[in-house]
Amino acid sequence: MKPLNQKADRVLKAAAEDKMDEVRAMQTVTAGCATTFDPGWEVDPFGSVAALCQPMEADLYGCSDPCWWPAQVPDIMVTHPDWDANATNAARDWRALGTVFPGDSNT
Amino acid sequence: MKTLIAGLSLAIAGTLFPTSDAKARDLLVTVARPDNLYVIDAESRSVIKDCTLGAEHASPGVMVMSPDGKIAYMLLDRWQNVVGVNIETCERVFFARQSEDKVVRRSIASITVSKDGSRLYTVRNPVRMHADHYEVMEPELAVFDTAAGLEAKPLAIHPAPRRSTVMATDDAGKVYIAGHDVYAVDPDTGEFTVAIANANWDRPTYSPPDVLAFWPIGTQNDEFMLLYSAAVFTDEKQEEMADFVWGYESVDLSTGETEIKDFTSFEVIMFSAVRNPNAENELYGVYTQLSKHDVETGELVKRVDLPHTYYVINISSDGKEVYIGGTNDDIGVYDTATLERIGEIRLPSGGDMSVGTLQIVQTE
Repeated sequence: MKPLNQKADRVLKAAAEDKMDEVRAMQTVTAGCATTFDPGWEVDPFGSVAALCQPMEADLYGCSDPCWWPAQVPDIMVTHPDWDANATNAARDWRALGTVFPGDSNT
Repeated sequence: MKTLIAGLSLAIAGTLFPTSDAKARDLLVTVARPDNLYVIDAESRSVIKDCTLGAEHASPGVMVMSPDGKIAYMLLDRWQNVVGVNIETCERVFFARQSEDKVVRRSIASITVSKDGSRLYTVRNPVRMHADHYEVMEPELAVFDTAAGLEAKPLAIHPAPRRSTVMATDDAGKVYIAGHDVYAVDPDTGEFTVAIANANWDRPTYSPPDVLAFWPIGTQNDEFMLLYSAAVFTDEKQEEMADFVWGYESVDLSTGETEIKDFTSFEVIMFSAVRNPNAENELYGVYTQLSKHDVETGELVKRVDLPHTYYVINISSDGKEVYIGGTNDDIGVYDTATLERIGEIRLPSGGDMSVGTLQIVQTE
């Protein structure tokens, strides 16, 4: 058998480490992002996009640092802490911000 | 050793805090990527200290200043560690590692210092990392001795409300925490009371308020002020909307008196705001526009578009200038009489400030 997702992979590792007493059948809680999680604004409060942050690069780390929009921007608070390692200025260095995948996750 | 780095890359003439009769001046203090604490002379628009923080990560850079204006206390390292740096020497003088072993503790903008400078408070959100799942634990108010040095541990820990953000302290020693409501806490006993009902406010013709509170900036007017937006309905049935308003809720940190007041219709977004310490009716709010409101008359005095969005605002001690920062790597300076952009400060690192705080201290 091969694990299909991260949870199943963690269970296999827990078995190997004799930590099965910690394993729960379902993950019912979230962490980190749960404190500030916002599902994200597809539009601004007026139903358009003009009142979103301008330009979006001004807002990029403001959304990833507090894990504000984890669906749109990698969560560099918890899961992808090195995503911004080569981009101290989002407007200038955005080309250095790559795509992330579940396997890159820090958790 | 990374945690002991106390760098100084810019030399200055004299000291930040002269003991002579030198004219008082305002200093701006902020944090930027990749690892920098900046002290800026407001009048000359020049960076006079560039301190290397030695942090694992400069995020978030939420900062409060000691009452004497000499120590910057910051949440760094992805909201986990509390770092205190002397802004004159760049020396790290305080460090509290809040996480331990398998328990991660993050403070989401929740940091403040007592008015006598002896205590530092955070609200932490502990999560135990198990082999295959997280265990969300109860939030806690941690009390630190600011003299505890580089291995500071809490003197006391009290239960705290979930979903807390910015904090402040008043002259009587109370700690204020912005959460679903604005709470007042006795840090000696941990007793919580509601100072301002926010999510639970008793305003039958209003929707619940929406509050964004990430920037602990009310020190110039000695107040703990949060903006809110809310829908106002024609009656208690809440079927027909009469207006959508901006308002502020404030705690006077000298007296403990509280106030809540609508001041304008919701026409543009504002992320943070300050009032003029010399004319409390003047409120300045910032986002992609800079707005000047008269909160006594409800008048929008003036509004100007900005070169880009800014998150955080602060105001000079004489009330003649506002400074806008956060987001990118520049701080804009605006004349409060005209809202004309009269200056700009570029941070040498070129790094983003993101959600970092822009504080102001005086040199005497």
